[in-house]
Parts: sequence; C-alpha cells; structure tokens
Amino acid sequence: MTSYSNRGFFNPAYHDSETLEIDKRSSSKPHHANPYAGEDPYRNWGARTELTDQTPRYDAEQQRTAHRGGWQEESWRGGEGIPMGPVSTHQHDLHYSTFQIALDSQYDGSPSIPLPSSMSGNMTMRWRGLAMRRMFPNTDPAHVAFTEDAIRNQMENEEQDRVNELVAMSTRERIRAIRELPMSFEEKKHIRNQVQAFSRKPHHFTIFEGCSENVSLSMRRCGYSVRSTRQTLELWHGIMKEIGGKFGSSVLSYFVFLKWLLMFNIFSFLINFGFITIPLLVYNHTPNVPPNVNFRGLEILTGAGYFSYTVMYYGSYSNETLVGLVEYDMQLAYFFTIAVYMVLCGIALIFSMASSFKKNYTLADLASNSAWQLLCSWDFSVTNERAVKQRTNNLSVQLKESLSEKGQRELLTLSEKVMHFGVYLGSWLLSTGLAVGCGASIYYLCQYEQQRATDAASWSLLQEAETLLVPFVVSLVNLVIPLFYSLFNKFEHYSSQRRQIYALVLRNVILRMSILGVLCYYWMNVLPDNFSCWESMVGQSLYRLVIFDFFFLMLGSFFGEFLSNVIGTRLLPGLGVPEFDVARNVLELIYAQTLAWIGIYFSPLLPAIQILKFFILFYLKKVSLTQNCQPPRRSGRAAQMQTIFIFLLFFPFFVGALSMVAYTAWRLTPSEQCGPFRGLNNTFEVVGEWIDGLREIPGSEWAVWIYQHVIRSEIFYFLLTLFILVIIYIFWQVSQGRKELIVLLRQQIVNEGKDKNFLRDKLQNLQKSHPEKHPKQKKQKGLTKQRSDGHPSGGQSNSNAMVQALLARQQLEEEEEGRSIEGVPVPSDISTSSALIQAMMARQRAETHSEGLYQTPGEHVSSSSTAARQRVDGRERSTDEYGSSAIRTRVRAEAEDLDYLPASSIMMQAMDARQQAEEEERFQWVPAPPQNLAPSGSSALIQAMLARQQAQNEFDDGY
Amino acid sequence: MGNKQTIFTDEQLDAYQDCTFFTRKEILRLHGRYHELAPHLVPMDYTNDPDCKLPLALIVNMPELKENPFRSRIVESFSEDGMGNLSFNEFVDMFSVLSETAPRELKAIYAFKIYDYNVDNYLCKEDLEKTLNKLTKEELTPEEVELVCEKTIEEADLDGDNKLSYADFENMITRAPDFLSTFHIRI
Repeated sequence: MTSYSNRGFFNPAYHDSETLEIDKRSSSKPHHANPYAGEDPYRNWGARTELTDQTPRYDAEQQRTAHRGGWQEESWRGGEGIPMGPVSTHQHDLHYSTFQIALDSQYDGSPSIPLPSSMSGNMTMRWRGLAMRRMFPNTDPAHVAFTEDAIRNQMENEEQDRVNELVAMSTRERIRAIRELPMSFEEKKHIRNQVQAFSRKPHHFTIFEGCSENVSLSMRRCGYSVRSTRQTLELWHGIMKEIGGKFGSSVLSYFVFLKWLLMFNIFSFLINFGFITIPLLVYNHTPNVPPNVNFRGLEILTGAGYFSYTVMYYGSYSNETLVGLVEYDMQLAYFFTIAVYMVLCGIALIFSMASSFKKNYTLADLASNSAWQLLCSWDFSVTNERAVKQRTNNLSVQLKESLSEKGQRELLTLSEKVMHFGVYLGSWLLSTGLAVGCGASIYYLCQYEQQRATDAASWSLLQEAETLLVPFVVSLVNLVIPLFYSLFNKFEHYSSQRRQIYALVLRNVILRMSILGVLCYYWMNVLPDNFSCWESMVGQSLYRLVIFDFFFLMLGSFFGEFLSNVIGTRLLPGLGVPEFDVARNVLELIYAQTLAWIGIYFSPLLPAIQILKFFILFYLKKVSLTQNCQPPRRSGRAAQMQTIFIFLLFFPFFVGALSMVAYTAWRLTPSEQCGPFRGLNNTFEVVGEWIDGLREIPGSEWAVWIYQHVIRSEIFYFLLTLFILVIIYIFWQVSQGRKELIVLLRQQIVNEGKDKNFLRDKLQNLQKSHPEKHPKQKKQKGLTKQRSDGHPSGGQSNSNAMVQALLARQQLEEEEEGRSIEGVPVPSDISTSSALIQAMMARQRAETHSEGLYQTPGEHVSSSSTAARQRVDGRERSTDEYGSSAIRTRVRAEAEDLDYLPASSIMMQAMDARQQAEEEERFQWVPAPPQNLAPSGSSALIQAMLARQQAQNEFDDGY
Repeated sequence: MGNKQTIFTDEQLDAYQDCTFFTRKEILRLHGRYHELAPHLVPMDYTNDPDCKLPLALIVNMPELKENPFRSRIVESFSEDGMGNLSFNEFVDMFSVLSETAPRELKAIYAFKIYDYNVDNYLCKEDLEKTLNKLTKEELTPEEVELVCEKTIEEADLDGDNKLSYADFENMITRAPDFLSTFHIRI
C-alpha cells in the first residue's frame, strides 16, 4: 500500500497535473519535439513506471552526492542492473518506504536547504519549489522538508526519465532532442553529460562498440565542421541581416527567394557543365565555326552568329561516343543529365513546397486578427530605429482601423454590390483580354520574324538585330501590362488586402503563362519546319529572352522604385516613398527562372547566364531597396505569400517547362544536321538504342526486362495511376476525418475549460460556506483565502481540490505506513491519480458527511451529486493536463500529419481513466464498504476504500 | 585559427554545438560579441568556465536588441536570476532560441515568457496592455488599449478563464505561421 501511494506521489501525471504550468511544459514538451516519444504514450508511461521503480535502488546518500556532484558516474552504478525492458511493478515496495523515511529524517530540521539544481534551473526547480511552498505555507518544518524532498525526488525522476528516453534514441535524434529542451544551457549540458556517461557505460566491454562510439563522435564533429564551412560560404549574410533589420522579414523573403533560385542555378550549371560540356571540351576543344562567321559583339545580345557554333547551344554537341580514357556516350549523357536535372528540380520543389505548406498552412486561422497583431506580428529581426518607429506607427494605425471597422461593419446596398461585381467582372475581362491580346500579337510578331529570317549560316548585322524585336516586345509587355493590372486593382474594392494581392498575382500569372504558351507553341510547331538546326534557334530565342528580361528587370526597378521615389518625394509628396512590391518582384523572378528551365534542353549553359543575372540583380535590388523604398506599411502574413510563390513556381511554371521539354523529347524529331540526337526519330530513342546495346552484354537481362515490361508498358502506368489515385483518395478521406476531429477536439478543450471554471467556482463557494470543521480543514481554508485574496503574481491558481487531494494523500501516507497491505499490481498511472482523486473525494465526502448532509436518501442524492461534481472536478483537474495536452498533441498531430494513433491512445487513456473513475465512484456509494475487499479489484479502488475509511475515522473523531 | 582555439576547448565547443543551434564558428562569433560588450570584464579565455555576468544595461545596448521594444524582457527571461544579468552561457541560450533553426515549440515557450511580465504563467490583461503599449509606443488611448486587449483575449482564450495560458498561446502560435520567421534575431 505504502509503495503504491509513493508511486502515486511520484507519478508525473499527478504532479504535472497541478504543480505548475511551466513544469508541465518542461517535462512534456520534449515529447512533442521528438517523434518517438510523442508517438507512443504507452511506452513513455511505461518508462515512467520503470523509473519510479528504479529510484529506490539508490540510497538516499547516494542521491544527494549524485545531485551535488553533478552526477558522477558512480551514481549510475546503482542503476547499472536496470533492465531496459518492462519491469514488473512489484519490486519496489518496502525499500521505498524506508527510503522515504530516511530522507524525511535527514531533512527534517532544515526547511530551507538550497535546492541543489535550483542554481542552474530557472524554470524547473525554482518554480516547483516556490509552487510547493506556496501550497504549504503554514505547515511545520517536517512538512516543508517532506515537500522539498518530494520535489527533489520528482525532479530526479523527471531527469532520469528524460535521460533514459534520450539514451534510447539514436545519436542524431538525441542531439536534436537535447537541443530542443526548453532549459538553460547549463542544464542541457548536464543532461548531455549524463546521457553520454550512461550510453558509454554499458558498451564498455566490446571494442566494436567503443569504435562505433568514436566513429559516431568523429562523424558528428565532421558534420559540424561541414555546417561551419557551409556557413562560411554562405552568401550575403551581412546584407541579409541589414535588409531584415531595416525592412523586416517580408521584404527579406524576396531576397531569400532570389538566393534560393541562384543556388538552384548554380547546381544546374555544375551538373550541365560537368556532365555535358566538360567531356566535349576535353575531347574536342575547338568550336567548329564556319570560316565566314566571326565574333562581332552583337552576339552578346542576340546569342546568334558566332555563339551558335559554341557549346552554348544544343547544336554543337556531338552525337559520338567520345573515346578517351573511357568511352563516353554523348547522347546518353545529354539525355540523362537533362532528365535527372529536371527530376531533381521537381523533387526539390515538391519538398520545399510540401514543407512550406505544412509549416504555414496548417491550422492557419484568419479570425484571430488582433491577437495575432498583438502577440505574433512583431518582427524581432528589425533593428533599425526608423523602421521600428514606422512599424509602431503602422501597428497603432492598423489597430485603430480594426477597432473602428469593428464598430461599423459596412453593409452594402444592392446597387453597391452590383457595382462592385461589375467592376470585378470588367477588370477580370479586361485583364484576361489583355493577356490574350498580348499572346496573339506576340504570335504574329513571331511569324513575321520567321518570314524575314533565313536559314543561312551567317546573318547580316541587320538580320541579327531584327531578332531582338520579339524579346524586346515580350519584355516590354511583361513590364507594362502588370502596371495596368495594378491600376485596375486600385478601382476594385476588395474586402481584404489578401484577396487583392491574390487577384493581382493571378492576373500576372495568366499573362505570363499566355505569353510563354504562345512562344512555346511557336517554337515547337513552326521552327522545326523552317530551320535545319531548330533546337539551336530555340536556344537563341531563349537566350535573348533571358538577356532582355534582365535589362527590363533593371529598367523596372529604375521606373518602379527610383522614379516613383523621385516623384513621391519631389513632385507629388502625397504619393510618398514607394514600398517594395514583393509580389511583383517575386513573379518576375519566377518568370526568369521558367525561361531558364525551358532553355535547359536547348541551351545547356543557359544557367550560367542566369547565375550572372541573379547575382547582379541581387545587388541591384538591394541598392534600389535601400535607396528608394520604405518598409512595407502593412505587415502582411509573409509566410503564406511565400508558400503561394513556391507553389506558383512549381505549378504552372515548372510543370509547364517540364511538359514542354518532355514533349520535345518524346514527340519532336531532332534536327538532322546538328546536335547529339541527329538521325533519331525522337530523343527518347536513345534509351531504346542503349537497351539494345545492353542485350549483348551478359548479366544485364534484368535491365532489358525492366525497360520492356515496365518503362514501355502502358498497363504499368495505368496501374500506377490507379494506385496513386486510390492512395490519394484514402489520404483525402483521412484528412477530412481529421479536420472534423480537430473541430471536435477544440470544442472539447473549450468545454473542459468551461466545466473546470464552473466546478472550481462551485467548490470554492462550498468551502467558503463551511469554513471550520477540522483543523486540517482550517488549514485549507487559510490557504484558500490566501489564494483568493492574494496577488496575481502568486496566481499559481492551484485549485483547492488539489490541495485537498494532496493533504488527503499525505495523511493517508502517514496513517497507512503501519498497514501491511502489500503492493497490488497497478493497472496504470492514471489509476494512481484517480485513486488520488478518490481520496480527495472521500475527504470531501467526509466533510459533507460531517455537515449532516448525508442522512436522508433525498439528500443523499443531492450530496452525492455535489460530491460527484467535485469528483469530476478533481478528475478533470488531474486528467486535465494529460487529457488536454493529449488533445493538443492530437490537434498538432492532426495538423502535421503525424501518425495519429498514439495521440488517440493518450485520449483513450484519459477516457479510460474517466471511465474507471466513474466506475469506482459507483462503488464508492456502497455504504460501509468492507475493508478487506478482494485484491482482485484495482488498487485504486482499495485506496479509495481506505480513504473512505479514513474519512469515516475522522468523522468518528469529530463526533 | 591558432588563437581562436584558446577561447574554448574542443569539448566545450562540442557541448555548445550539441546543446544549441549554433556551429563552432557562430559560438566564437557570439563570444566575440559578448566580449565586445565589456572587454575589460569578459575574459578571452573561457576554457575554465569563468564566472562572469554582464548586467542588463550592457546587453540591451547591442545593436540587435537596441531598438527592440521587448529588449529588457528578452534579456530578463533568459537570465537565471530574472534580473537580466546574463552569463555567456545564457547569452548563447538567448540567441540560440532566437536563431533561425530553433523549433516552433521552443520559441513559443520563450515568447510566452517574454510576454508574461508578472511571471504568473498566464498572459493576463495587464501583460497584454504592457505589450501593446510597448508595441505602439503608447499611442493608443486607454480605452483602445482596453478594447484591443479584450479582443485579443476573446480571440485566443480557449478555456474561457479570461487570461491566456500557455496552451492558448501555443495554440495561437501554431496558427500564425509568420511567428517562426519573426521571432528571430540574426546575429
């Protein structure tokens, strides 16, 4: 019995439930942070059970030294024999009680011993100590000692808990978990040392384990140094910091995006250059330029002429197998490099898109506006004085606006609604019409250009200059039409700024897609019939587009930012200094990147141009930003915009480029006279030929088989598609279910909160109305008063019910030390806490009892209902933290698409506990229960019985 | 590199790298910054863990914190004594939590501490009022402040106790994706 109650005392569920919010966090947070712990509550709870079992193995002295001496390894000796598997819960009983007593006597006269780890822990120990002291302000020193002792033990348990959990993890996970512990560095280091000492200990004997330990250590160091070097190589750290400091993170996100694209291009350049260009240059490093073509300078703009005979374009790659040190098949290299690059790009995009969605769109809730503005909107990275001032101004203006908006929600009349609708319709029609018109005009322009151009080896200067017309017009359209769109936007009345931005972005996307679509159609369908080396011609057009896009980006920042700054400050001060338009600029980047993606097949070295372009653009935009712009007035929700942009980059643009390249490779006949694929019907035939070649090599039949039966079979793709569709459907259903569940669980949190408040008020009222019954009761009363009268700073808001439970529990322990009921198997930790509540309940009932409420049957019902309520209250209190944290875990798990079974098992546990409590409650009402009830019942029940008995004893004493 | 090695031993640097989100280089950079704050107080040699703390007044003068309306609260939340005296380890802690790689949960815990002025583990109305006044430089009238705070509590309070517990706060944070990028100080 004793052992059982001790277990109860050390039960984290019980402690976490009430002692302190922060404690609960510090102990339960890592469970969220590490996937294993969060997934399997049973395992954790099991671990806790084990740990409480282990504690008695140390003697008190050892524990103290262990604490003071910072957990020398000796202190672990006691724990060496700890089996890691599930431990039977029978082992602990008697040791434990002696241990308890020993400690009690040791600390008896010294109530205010400095708590050893409080010097390092500003969250856990100190808080807990305060909380506990606050709970027992009037108790005698023995009690205080008891409390401190209990605190200490619990601390130790928690710590051991954590250490054991960490030891069980892999090194990498362990480090992550340690990093994410919400405590100070000193404490983390302490835990880390413990974990290291512990994990090294058992592996002492085998050399192999020692080696692997060393290897993992050196791997880790190596990883750190790689990270360090990467940081050294990181571009623009200082500039980024400066921009973030002056303009906040929403503007910074543009630069982050730009840098990300730059990295993308560097990667693709390295791949293309390494696998396609270098082998060719090694084999044959002189470009075979016809004698009448020479470098004239205009090529830098047009990409035609001399350039078309260099490795810049598709046309000058050979179709031979290069024989140097090894045989190098250019055809295969070209095909697979491009294919692999596209696939890698797609994967990178999908991953960053998915993670961005997960981070930014889960549970994103637009309703809580002022809460968000107050607590989440402040940008801690802003360090510039002017920017800070501006931000505070903007924020107060926005708050005032939101208040006044709230005051008078404008109700639109029908005519106003019709007018708004008309404006929407008009501007949508107009903008779509503009996009289509631009597409059509560009198509005709292309046709016109194609009529003028000839398929000659060298063009006259004029002919070459004429090719610049199309890219010029395209870039001009891209620059000017968005300005019109912004203008339309001013006339429309959108209810939220976000919708306005979305509409603007959508129109711009439509425009760019229509232009690119027309150009692609022209390249795919018209050029191949008219030019002998049409791939190079496409490459040239793309080159020109990229170059002109760059010029117009510069012009755009000149007009968009510099001119409007000049106008805003000198000519029309009403306009003010312009803001940096993140949406427009990011769209420009996306467009530029799309050009590079389309061009990758036709001009493998286009990424080099792109790198140069982005590099210059970064500095240009930075200068333009710091010279001309002011920080954005509205601190929009930048993270979501960023997600949208990554999505846009992926969906119409990357997918479009990919399908264009894929169409070229599958369907179009490569030109006969140039390029690596000359003589083939389509590019993909390379693979077929390669497989045919493989047939002759013995041992490669499987590759041939895979090619014929998997890659070339329609049925495979058909089945695959079906399979994926089924999976998508299932996941969609699951996510729908989870959505509903989230709503329900949230509702449950709200309800529980309400219940809790209601019951707490009831309980307090009840206690206030019957102040003096027992000496103990008085003490509680004093406590209650102190709590309710007192200070918000002490507002631990420990419920009285809890205090009562504690006292009842303590009393139980004191009284029952002599009793010789041996430990009974414990079903679960929850039962402990429910037993506690049971005890508290019994106490409560004793009170009502003594008040004489429990005499007639009718009153029986009423009192039982009050008591039941209190009981529910108590139950809720103790299960609340687990229950609601379970719910929260649940909600989060739902949100982040984790496996939800474990979370629901927490719920299940909570539910079980509830049910159990209720069952026990029913039992409780059996008058005068036999004390020697069969041990087959749960020990919780027995304890409840004992509590009841004790309550009756008290009742007897009282009268 | 030679003289850099003497600031910390390899074991210390390993411990820092295991327990914070920083690399060796960043730790050294942080030490440099810490040293800069009070060159005569902070030793260059940290191999034997000198006991040295800098007061709040010195730390809030860092350019990263100088303009931040919550600067003293940030420093206080990370100081062990609650008064804002930071040892180097606490200094590292502070920037580790505020670094880019720190997870949302960790950031939320400390953000809650920062906003919890009276350290009662709840964001009550007074806390919110103080926060709001710092954010707006007291430009709102008391009534407006009152209204905004009420609205905030109304929006974020799940369990209806008229103050925001950590759970409420965390719940709100998970719905505000920007928090991760805004609760971030580059060092």
